[in-house]
Amino acid sequence: MVDFIQNTLDGIFIGSSYALLAIGFTLIFGVMRRLNLSYGPSIMLGVFAGTLLYIQLNAGLLVVGLATVVGAVLAGLYVERICFWAVRRGAALASMVSSFAIWMQLEEAVTIVFPDRTYPFPPLADFTLKLGPFWVRGEHLIMFICASLLTILLHLLLYRTRFGLAIRAVSENPTAAKFMGINTGLVVMFAFALASVIGGVAGYLIASTDQQVTPLFGLWATFKGLIAMTLGGMGSIPGAIAGGLLLGVIEAQSVWYLGTEYRDLVAYAVLFAFLVFRPGGLFAQKSAMQSRLAARRV
Amino acid sequence: MDDHLIQVFSNVGMISFIALSAYVLLLTGEISFGQQAFFAISAYASGIATAMWGWAFWPGLVWGAAVAGAAAFLLAWPTLRMRGLYFAIGTLAFAEMVRLIFEIFRYQVEIEGELVGPDGSEGFRGIRYIFESDISATQYMLIIYLLLSAVLAFLFAIERTRLGAIFRMLGEDELLAEMQGVNRTYYKVMATVIAGVIAGIGGALYAHMNTYIEPKIFNVMLGVHSLAYGLIGGLGTAFGPLIGVGLDIGLLESTRIFTGYRMVVFGGLVALLLIFRPRGLLDEAAVHAIKSLWRRFLPAAQTQRSNNRAPD
Repeated sequence: MVDFIQNTLDGIFIGSSYALLAIGFTLIFGVMRRLNLSYGPSIMLGVFAGTLLYIQLNAGLLVVGLATVVGAVLAGLYVERICFWAVRRGAALASMVSSFAIWMQLEEAVTIVFPDRTYPFPPLADFTLKLGPFWVRGEHLIMFICASLLTILLHLLLYRTRFGLAIRAVSENPTAAKFMGINTGLVVMFAFALASVIGGVAGYLIASTDQQVTPLFGLWATFKGLIAMTLGGMGSIPGAIAGGLLLGVIEAQSVWYLGTEYRDLVAYAVLFAFLVFRPGGLFAQKSAMQSRLAARRV
Repeated sequence: MDDHLIQVFSNVGMISFIALSAYVLLLTGEISFGQQAFFAISAYASGIATAMWGWAFWPGLVWGAAVAGAAAFLLAWPTLRMRGLYFAIGTLAFAEMVRLIFEIFRYQVEIEGELVGPDGSEGFRGIRYIFESDISATQYMLIIYLLLSAVLAFLFAIERTRLGAIFRMLGEDELLAEMQGVNRTYYKVMATVIAGVIAGIGGALYAHMNTYIEPKIFNVMLGVHSLAYGLIGGLGTAFGPLIGVGLDIGLLESTRIFTGYRMVVFGGLVALLLIFRPRGLLDEAAVHAIKSLWRRFLPAAQTQRSNNRAPD
């Protein structure tokens, strides 16, 4: 039982970073109704921008973090302009494949500058807390706190500001939002930037927990975000949080009880089962509209 | 032809199968990220048949394709409920599950003093039927293109019959198709199985050409690439995916013009192409235009011929 709870705790801590990735995904999906496969790779670009400063100039934590976020936002906007803004409306499949093409481009661009397999990333904290019978790693705790703070900020932004209202209006019904005088193109761009900021923070937290980065980070982040978003329900932010935490817990438990080689297998099996039996995700009813839209021909 | 060229053509041919497999599903309006699973299943099944059970190549290939088809049939039922993006993610989950199962799948027998068979993530060595039967690389390339032509002929035949119309109708608007009396379940399962078998043929060919396969070859990148090939080349005709494969593997990977930054160039080109032609180079409109041009010139040629013959 102690093991089970310890795994659940670890899972929730790791899962909080998955939740951030899923929130970013779901924001983009919400306003665009399209899948941005390049989300992870654009975060990866940001993480490598941070690494570059760390290796070359031995920059401090704050500078590295800032560089990561700025890099992710710039890459995210590049993806938005080329794959989403420029590809005409109604061609969602083209957007998705185009974002995949840009993924390949970003990944190779990074490997040209960084030819080695891994690069160091500055750690955030190096301590371990003991709470009763349970251990908590410092980085995990910081990750969880940052993720929670960011989620609260995002909630305030979406539900307490006019900009948030515009984002919600566009994801509810783009046509109606346009008629109400909302500049949908601009809102989409800002939503992309917002998703990239969240992704950048998530990337920074993950990289500093691992204390290293690889060009494979893009693939990893895209798929973790995608799985977590689908588990929670596409286009729903509470769903993304729940999905991320659930994914973290599932992974932690299957590593403990079955072994490392079963971790992803179990996660994908759960994902598949969700898609068959509960396609709307954890929060199926709330996002019924979203899932109907997602089910439309991509 | 020199060895390198033969290798390039063989690779283009083999990858074409998986691109065509994704294309069949695209016709019915489904995006699959998971066709590499059937490629993998058949590669393993046919490799096991020839290297471990002592079968000949052709029965092995048929067996591999049949196993892939059966797997597709099983997958078709749970995925029937998924549409659009859900189908894409569902097939992705399935394919990754298949790959991860091969990562832990061990089944080995001792043949002539050495262990042969899939060994988890170590891969599956010694699928040497082609090598041991003295089939040259050129001959094997011809086998690949023979089978590819057969598959293409099959797809063109489908396109000319009611079945092709039904596939495209389902792709255009499922609800409308059902209202016209199309049995959605039947045709969706059929398309999935056809796609699985096509990918399976490619997988069996791949395993026997390389003599060595490992699970990580069949990762999601292979699946997304094969999907992208169809969209680059165009969704109007089965030649579309071949154009996509030819461009990527044939031109860029093999000629090594852009060594080191091939994907920077190719990724940018694809993104630009999709801005101007969101349904690929040979989209439905382009194919239609080519066909009507063809029709306009063909009768002219025929009348001319008959005019020439008139004095007789």
